[in-house]
Amino acid sequence: MLTIKVLGSGCANCKRLEQLANKAVMEMGMQAEVVKVTDYNDIMQYPILSTPGLVINEKLVCSGRIPTQAEVTIWLVNAEMEAV
Amino acid sequence: MIDFLLRLLQGGAGNLAAYLAAHVLLCLLPAFFIAGAMAALIPKESVTRFLGRNTPRYISYPAASLAGSVLAVCSCTIVPLFAGIYKKGAGLGPAITFLFFAPAANILALAYTGVAIGPDLAFARLSLSLAFGIGIGLIMALIFSRDDAAHDKINDESFAGRRSIRRSVLLFLLILVALLLSGTLKIGLLTNAYGEINLPIPGLDTFQQALYQVVPFDPGKGEEGVTAQGAILIGLLALIGVTAWLGFENILERSNSWTWISLGLVALTLLVASVQLNPEVGGLNILITGKLVGVGLALVMIWLIGRFGLEEREVQEWLWESWRFIKQIFPLLVVGVFMVGVIRQLIRPEWIETLAGENTVLGNLAGVVFGVFMYFPTLVEVPIAKMFLSLGMHRGPLLAYLMADPELSLQSILIVSAIIGRLKAWTYVAWVALFSTLAGLIYGAWVDGASAGMILLYLAAFMGILSLALYLVSRRNLGKSAQTMAAVK
Repeated sequence: MLTIKVLGSGCANCKRLEQLANKAVMEMGMQAEVVKVTDYNDIMQYPILSTPGLVINEKLVCSGRIPTQAEVTIWLVNAEMEAV
Repeated sequence: MIDFLLRLLQGGAGNLAAYLAAHVLLCLLPAFFIAGAMAALIPKESVTRFLGRNTPRYISYPAASLAGSVLAVCSCTIVPLFAGIYKKGAGLGPAITFLFFAPAANILALAYTGVAIGPDLAFARLSLSLAFGIGIGLIMALIFSRDDAAHDKINDESFAGRRSIRRSVLLFLLILVALLLSGTLKIGLLTNAYGEINLPIPGLDTFQQALYQVVPFDPGKGEEGVTAQGAILIGLLALIGVTAWLGFENILERSNSWTWISLGLVALTLLVASVQLNPEVGGLNILITGKLVGVGLALVMIWLIGRFGLEEREVQEWLWESWRFIKQIFPLLVVGVFMVGVIRQLIRPEWIETLAGENTVLGNLAGVVFGVFMYFPTLVEVPIAKMFLSLGMHRGPLLAYLMADPELSLQSILIVSAIIGRLKAWTYVAWVALFSTLAGLIYGAWVDGASAGMILLYLAAFMGILSLALYLVSRRNLGKSAQTMAAVK
């Protein structure tokens, strides 16, 4: 099972990224848990210079922009393959 | 009593209408799109690579201020980047410079201040914030140099990325700035009329008279009325609001026909705002100004670059970021401007004049204290400053207020203290208060006729002493750490 974290204090882009992650997970039919991280001290544990950030299995895959759904899907598949 | 309430409402509505009609369109609309382009199209790595731990000071401080003006249009970037520079990058000093400079130097604040209050104040705000932002950064680094040296010396990978700005993106940004300038600069080339058209549309002159009746105004108090042109523009703005909601909300997935309608309306609004409409008996007299030519040319260039120079994804992200800023800031600004209009009716000019009518230390302090304890949403500080100005506040204390208000609010102090600790945060607050007062005094003295050269000389000497002190302290620290290293061996 994958753990997906959406880093962001609650601005419009962070909400958007959360929706996108949920949608990608749904469409892939994956076993995954999407967690929102809103506390700045927790966010700063990752090497990130601007929100929103996307973390899959504790690895930061994207920050500072909203990725496309295709990108998120690729990252999810990669993480799944690595986990096996 | 009802009369009184009605007067308040009229004040609010009048202020709002005058703002929407006159100032907002030609400056804020392009400014929002520039802010969007900066957020979407400038790769953050192009600036942050100068903010790593091993960057020399004479590069990291200017880079921090550049990051403040270019990258930090919203809090999504300000807080993480601030924490990143402090914890993993160039250290406390540049982080503070970044934090101080960002609210004063972003494109929205500058454009709005320049148009609503005056280019001189916008320029003063920019240059004094730059000087003092670096100054406060240096001082903070000096005071807490031991803590900073204790930070790990490893250059973090977050600052290692190297991407530069593409040439077409740079051109795109420049044209957007040209659009903003050609709409707002008050120089003869742009404001002169080069031709006129008369359209046989009757009734607009009576419409304008009716508007003056509904929204009464007093030029002596610095109030402005709503013209027929203003009313047309407000109508267009409402249309843009509706079509933008339909066209931009899902722009990242796909654009639809509403997107194009909305963009067309934006262009039309900018063009209408840049001509001069004179309603006359029996017809409408339109003056073709230099502004119209400039705005028109810029719009064509923007379309060409957007169509051929940028990728579709980039354009989508640009529009989304612009729309996000508008959605986030504009409603608060509208409410804020309305409230300012209401409050305007309640404040007696004598109060402001006695408190801050002249460029005194007390007056500047009053401006700063008001700025620290009041929290207004982004950009609302500008109409408030305009109100103070029309009530007789001196431009010096006004600048002091404008510097202190966006820099310091209880909210931002709390976030900052969570990252750098309470002691450092409050030290920062104290320095900002002091420097804002100083900035007001200096600018006020300049307005009152002191020579610019002397002021610049003082400023330069002050900055020189500061950097020298910092240099000496850092050398001593280096020597000490070398000694301990030797002792360990």
